[in-house]
Amino acid sequence: MIKKLALASGVLSLVFPTMAFAADEASSQMLNMGLNTLWILIAAILVILMQGGFILLEAGSTRMKNAGHVAGKTIFTIGLCSLVYWAVGYGITFGTDNVENETLSKIIGWGSFFFDPAIAGDPANDNYPTSVFFLFQLAFAAISLSIAWGGFAERAKLSSYLVFTVLFTAVIYPVVAHWIWGGGWLAQDGAQDYAGSTVVHLTGALAAFAATVLLKPRIGKFNRDGSANEILGHNQVFSALSVLLLWVGWFGFNAGSAVSVGDGFFAYVAFNTQLGAAAGAVAALLISWLITGKADITTTLNGALAGLVAITASCAFVDPWAAVVIGLVAGVLVFFSVKLFEKLKVDDPIYALSVHGMAGIWGTLANGIFATQVLADKVGVGQGGLIDTGSWYQLWVQLESVVVCGAYVLGASFLILGVMKLVMGFRVTEEQEIIGLDLSEHGTYGYPEQMKKAQQNL
Amino acid sequence: MSDPVGAQLLSRIGTADEVVTLRSLRDRIHEHMEGLLSEQPVEQFYTNLNEAHDALIKRAIALAEANLARMGNSPPVPYAYLLFGSGGREEQTLSSDQDSGIVYADPDDESGREAAAQYFSHLAQAIVEMLQQLGYPPCDGNVISTNPEWCLSLTDWKNKLNEWFEEPDWERVRYLLIVADSRSIYGEGGLLQKLKDHFYSDMLDNPVIVRHMLNNTMRHKMLIGVFGQLLRERYGEDAGSLDVKYGAYIPMVNAIRMMSIQSGLRETSTLARIHSLQLKGKLSAEEASSYAKAFRLFMRLRLLATERNVDGMYTNNGKLSRRKLTKVLIEELKHGLRTGKKLQRRVFKQTKVRV
Repeated sequence: MIKKLALASGVLSLVFPTMAFAADEASSQMLNMGLNTLWILIAAILVILMQGGFILLEAGSTRMKNAGHVAGKTIFTIGLCSLVYWAVGYGITFGTDNVENETLSKIIGWGSFFFDPAIAGDPANDNYPTSVFFLFQLAFAAISLSIAWGGFAERAKLSSYLVFTVLFTAVIYPVVAHWIWGGGWLAQDGAQDYAGSTVVHLTGALAAFAATVLLKPRIGKFNRDGSANEILGHNQVFSALSVLLLWVGWFGFNAGSAVSVGDGFFAYVAFNTQLGAAAGAVAALLISWLITGKADITTTLNGALAGLVAITASCAFVDPWAAVVIGLVAGVLVFFSVKLFEKLKVDDPIYALSVHGMAGIWGTLANGIFATQVLADKVGVGQGGLIDTGSWYQLWVQLESVVVCGAYVLGASFLILGVMKLVMGFRVTEEQEIIGLDLSEHGTYGYPEQMKKAQQNL
Repeated sequence: MSDPVGAQLLSRIGTADEVVTLRSLRDRIHEHMEGLLSEQPVEQFYTNLNEAHDALIKRAIALAEANLARMGNSPPVPYAYLLFGSGGREEQTLSSDQDSGIVYADPDDESGREAAAQYFSHLAQAIVEMLQQLGYPPCDGNVISTNPEWCLSLTDWKNKLNEWFEEPDWERVRYLLIVADSRSIYGEGGLLQKLKDHFYSDMLDNPVIVRHMLNNTMRHKMLIGVFGQLLRERYGEDAGSLDVKYGAYIPMVNAIRMMSIQSGLRETSTLARIHSLQLKGKLSAEEASSYAKAFRLFMRLRLLATERNVDGMYTNNGKLSRRKLTKVLIEELKHGLRTGKKLQRRVFKQTKVRV
């Protein structure tokens, strides 16, 4: 082996004489930056592709009459979100014009509005160009927003999607992201949220919660005596496919959050991610089978996603066995959470509150229990959790970040959506809801043949 | 009926000449029986109730036959009117549907066959309509005397059974199980006896038939989970209720029927089957009494299931609502369901060994 290598490098040095000196510092920095950039861009693309997962998930979990609307509006809101994030959101999260003002910079960032990145990075000082970092961060903001749509599904006006996209991307998401990732006060406390169980998932889920509470349940979801009806989605194959798309995209989400190639640590993150997702899917199917006597597909899908959401915060901080435990708990949790929200008469069509909210909380807290000192040092955020160090400190910090971020998002979402409800109206009319949003908001059906036939039979 | 009011109503059924009179008698019997629900032991209640149903159905058949006779049509050959399902098992509740058939003696020649087929099709029509007016909804599965498949001469019935025996698929074996519960309610009972003689043959030991019967028998599961929890309805109007019909009563009926068929027992009612299985030594006294106890509970709970009056029909969704599931009842029910599950497992095991 060594002989072969020596021979190969000898031959190569004959062909490319400069390669013999390739280890000079500048080129190695250039190579490092190039590889980092390539990986982060791939990760950003994977995360943006997760929107395909959300389109299928949301469409598959809802009824045919709303399919075109549900799917199409996501493309529109990604577009709008990108522009707003470019103009404002990125600056609030990562802007550094206000670093001298220590108090203010703990709360929000300032600067870099209408972001204009350098055309290339500086290999001597940076690990990657800011352009790729922007794209990666934008992809996260858009995911958080798409999670929020779960609470809007099948009854919100299209105009409310427009207004909420602007406000969520400008003032809700960037603030939380700044606190934990942008050098804000929770980052200074050592809150561990590797890829965003809290920042992305809990934020999206709580916005969804505010929306679904303000909108009230869909027509026909609950009976007068309080019992729930099952409003089945129109395509379970879409839903299953969506989970696979999200699952694959999640490697960009989690492993991409290493934002470097370096020593290959990002592969360890990907490894834990796979374990968490797998455990979530398995646990959810088994628990539904044991409790209801039927192995429920929707629950299984939710379980895989809950495993992914939960492992998102902890994927870089825990040992493999802990990743499995975190996934298993998430799978069980999501099953009971769905039942709980139903009991509370909260209509959650896409199960966003359970999958992204409950599992997001669990994943964030799980760091405080399972994080190891070695990995915390490796990542350079916070410290080991209860099991490894015996210290409650990290669990406390995690709890603090969940509660504070949750309270902010919930408050801001209720305020914004509440004002929207008063000023412009939030929900479509009963007639529009019954006809379906495809027709009422866009004038044409997502499934024209089937829906026209169904209408003739009315 | 044992009580004077009931006995009087019953005797009036036997003399009623009009459908409307019969209907009002049925309504009054229902009121009367509902009052007895909490007083009588469940077996006696069912005996009384089924006596009343039998009387009503018999009277309806007699009236329908008389109506045809007035138009000059009399039965060309003797016949028996058959009840399947809960009617056959003498386990009808206050709201049971019509599962019925007709078997008639073989006519002598071709023209007689045609005439008989025509007459009995008219008769079945008249009977089913009249019973509908009395509030008995027709069978969803079309197992009803107006369906030509279930209204046949003795020879045709035997041929049909042979057909089912020879090419047993899942559906045909289901029909065989339906026939096992049949009972003659009116007319020449000997015809059904002959049919049953044909039915209880060694054909029933065909492994394919046994396998299908077992699958059919095990299809409905006792609604109790691995943690001993009740498996209730999760969604809809009936959320929180328990489907006692398909999650307790029917699985038990099926399991006991399976054992009875294998032992060649001709009883149709489940409790009588349990009793005979004990006499034959197929069940120990202890087993028989615990199965009978569980079954009586399920019968009692069926009577508590949500009643619905749809277009004048007495119907029932077979589900026990959350409100009626008291703590005491839940414990009793769980015990019964566990017993039922044990029975199912036993039938499964002993049949598996034989197949």
